[in-house]
Amino acid sequence: MNPQDLIAPPSSLGNPAPFWFITFFKVLGFILHMIPMNIWYVGMLLVALFATFGKGHSEELAHRFTRTMPIIVALGVNLGIVPLLFTQVGYYQFYYPAGVLIGWPWISVIVLLTFAYYGVYVYSLNVRNSKRTKFAIASACISSVLFIVIGFLFANNFSLMVNEDNWINIFNRTNVGAAPTGMALNTSDPTLFPRWLMMFGIAIMTTAVYIIFDGFYFKRNSTSAQYKAWAVKFSFGIFTLGMIWFAVMGSWYIFGTLDKFTLDQIVGTPIMLFIFFLTAISPGAPWIALLLMRVRVNSNILPSRKGSVLLAMIAQLIVIVLNAISRQWVQNAELLRYSDVSKLAVNTQWSPMIVFLILFVIGLGVVGWMIAKIIAVERLAEKA
Amino acid sequence: MHYPWWYVSKLTGPMLIALIATTHVFVSMYAVGGGIYLAGETGYAYKVNNKSLLEYLRSQAMFFILLTVVFGAITGVGIWWTIGLTSPLATESLIHIFVFGWAMEYVFFVLEITSAFIFFYYWGRLEPKIHKTIGWIYAVSAWFSLVLITGITAFQLNIGSWTPAKGMWSAFFNPQTFPQIVARTGASLLLASLYVFLHASIKLRHDNELRFLVGTKASKWGMAGAILVTLGGIWWYTNLPESGKDALTAASALQILTMIIFASSIVVFFMLYFGPYHNPSWITPGFAILLFLFGLAATGTGEFIRESTRKPYIIYDYVLGNNVLVDEIPKLQKDGYLNGGVWTKEFMKVHYPEVFDKNGNIDNQKLLQLPEKDQVKVGEVIFQYHCNDCHSRNGFSAVSDLTRGWTPEMVNTIIIYLDAAHFFMPPWSGTMQEAAVLTKYITSLSQPHPAGMKYSFAKSAPNNSGKANAYGDTK
Repeated sequence: MNPQDLIAPPSSLGNPAPFWFITFFKVLGFILHMIPMNIWYVGMLLVALFATFGKGHSEELAHRFTRTMPIIVALGVNLGIVPLLFTQVGYYQFYYPAGVLIGWPWISVIVLLTFAYYGVYVYSLNVRNSKRTKFAIASACISSVLFIVIGFLFANNFSLMVNEDNWINIFNRTNVGAAPTGMALNTSDPTLFPRWLMMFGIAIMTTAVYIIFDGFYFKRNSTSAQYKAWAVKFSFGIFTLGMIWFAVMGSWYIFGTLDKFTLDQIVGTPIMLFIFFLTAISPGAPWIALLLMRVRVNSNILPSRKGSVLLAMIAQLIVIVLNAISRQWVQNAELLRYSDVSKLAVNTQWSPMIVFLILFVIGLGVVGWMIAKIIAVERLAEKA
Repeated sequence: MHYPWWYVSKLTGPMLIALIATTHVFVSMYAVGGGIYLAGETGYAYKVNNKSLLEYLRSQAMFFILLTVVFGAITGVGIWWTIGLTSPLATESLIHIFVFGWAMEYVFFVLEITSAFIFFYYWGRLEPKIHKTIGWIYAVSAWFSLVLITGITAFQLNIGSWTPAKGMWSAFFNPQTFPQIVARTGASLLLASLYVFLHASIKLRHDNELRFLVGTKASKWGMAGAILVTLGGIWWYTNLPESGKDALTAASALQILTMIIFASSIVVFFMLYFGPYHNPSWITPGFAILLFLFGLAATGTGEFIRESTRKPYIIYDYVLGNNVLVDEIPKLQKDGYLNGGVWTKEFMKVHYPEVFDKNGNIDNQKLLQLPEKDQVKVGEVIFQYHCNDCHSRNGFSAVSDLTRGWTPEMVNTIIIYLDAAHFFMPPWSGTMQEAAVLTKYITSLSQPHPAGMKYSFAKSAPNNSGKANAYGDTK
């Protein structure tokens, strides 16, 4: 079989927006999704560990995570809709076959996510009621494992999407009358594991910065100084681990698994090469910010909320943005082996697009108004 | 045809959509109706300064979030997952027509999530006026997300004047949109009231005064919902395409279910009126559970009927149930179904290269020159891609049962005149040779005519599939 022959014909309706628009919103949505997703990915692991073995500040960290985790998961799930929507608009010829070929594992994401989310709530409600039963701890541990499994399944689908050669292998292995049974995974793809594990590295880094953010922006009681100092030390430690992890897995992914064609695409495009270089070194910026905080804490000085804490947050946001852009670029480069999705016919739906953009701005305004109201409430509580 | 077909043994892929979508609707309707209820009742509680009612509404909001934000949101995403897997071409088309509709819905989702959490987690900490406003932001956002998704699903049933050259608005404002918005808004309010009875009957079992107050007020929402469901349902029926109306009269099961839906809406209205509205003491856990299950059954049945009326289409007049574009049919009938499918053609190239001509296309005549067992195998491929969207081999709506005792000639005739025999089935979209090999496959599956019937024809010798048929035909 020729992989290119398996690509569905382009939609006769044409793409409803220019390719740059689709890509922009896909990447923007992915960035917004990645932040909460990173936090629950590693955050729940920390909750599971510290709920079982934690004492003192580490136990407190698990409690703090637990209070906000239901909201973080809700935001992550809903923000994940955007990249999924625009993937289906611009990459439908690749997204649907990959999903069908691994149908059962892919659809199991819904079931796993439901259990994982309720597991988070079980633990959260337990802690809110000042209890910590064995069942609740087990729920947190199961949720943590389920989130990691879900990440693995996503890595499967999105690596299979850009590997049409493996479509053929899976199809030949699992079809009944030319219809795939969906009982497969993309485990023979060399990019699968580094892709999945690389994301884990970024998740560790994002979670480390979130711990600092949470400690310095939301922790207000009398023991806050000791907790904040502990949080800085702990975050610096796990961030360093995440950064090393990211470097190792990223190198494995780029130099160990990407084919020559894709690498040539990266090397042959100066701006792409530059963005890749920035992506590779970007974790250094939040790490330096955390290092500075660590040094100050060693001198018994708490870092300022508006100084190094804010700097670390902005720097980690840049890490995530660069990573999302690079991933998008690699995805396009990998697909070029089979088809150029940017060349699909466009039939822009201007008026719905304008209405959407207006609603988007109004929506942001309303969300901003609501957040302003709760900030005012929090400030009042702080003064009191 | 454009995408690989996911073979879900016994059940068929689209039945997975039905399972997930129905489950989702049970919760998503509460997400809309419950939001309106909570916003309205919280405003009332602030107005009359009823602190115990406010406290109750807070606990209702917690229950609401646990159910709608978690289960409702995930199953909503689950529908996307499933339609992409089981109807990829239809999903591709819907996404291209309605991407900005979905993007707008997403804006409302974000508003819903944010306002729902603030409404609950800042209960008692926000000024009443702001708290009420946030409640209404949720309610309005949830209702608009209902409006947007209803426009899309309504389009599947009646595309109105839309053509591929026209844009999203033409598709969105189809003849079914407004009737379904009215019906679904009503169903949301009705179902929400049943959730409230269920919750209040347990939570307030020791507080009669408050339970009666909650019950009486919730029943008003429920009765308003029942009226809207009835009006919207009648409007929905009048705006059905001809085939949709005919489907309701042609299938006895649908006739019965439709009658049940309309009757149950009226019954629920009177149950609410004579029950919780006039006699709030009726609100016991048993009564509430009964009413709730009644509501779920009615909602599920309503969704089933709604889906049934668009057969054989997924998008009316545009995409058929077997993921074939209506415009593709003439070419498929001329060149062959296997030739027209991306994955079927590749499969044939690997397994049966001998049937290809020098231009790289399948020569349909050569299909009949294959050994008998291979013809059956090729028939299976056609079955998977042409029939398996509705019929399993031997599970749900099994072809083996539906063709009990049929002769090969009967099977072949039905295949060729598929849409003429049953207007709710898609037309045969292959060549005569392909129909012949599909006939061989289906005949190999079909069960014998049930034995022991007084006039049974199934006493004679087996046919070529080794099984008896209705007329004792052995050919």
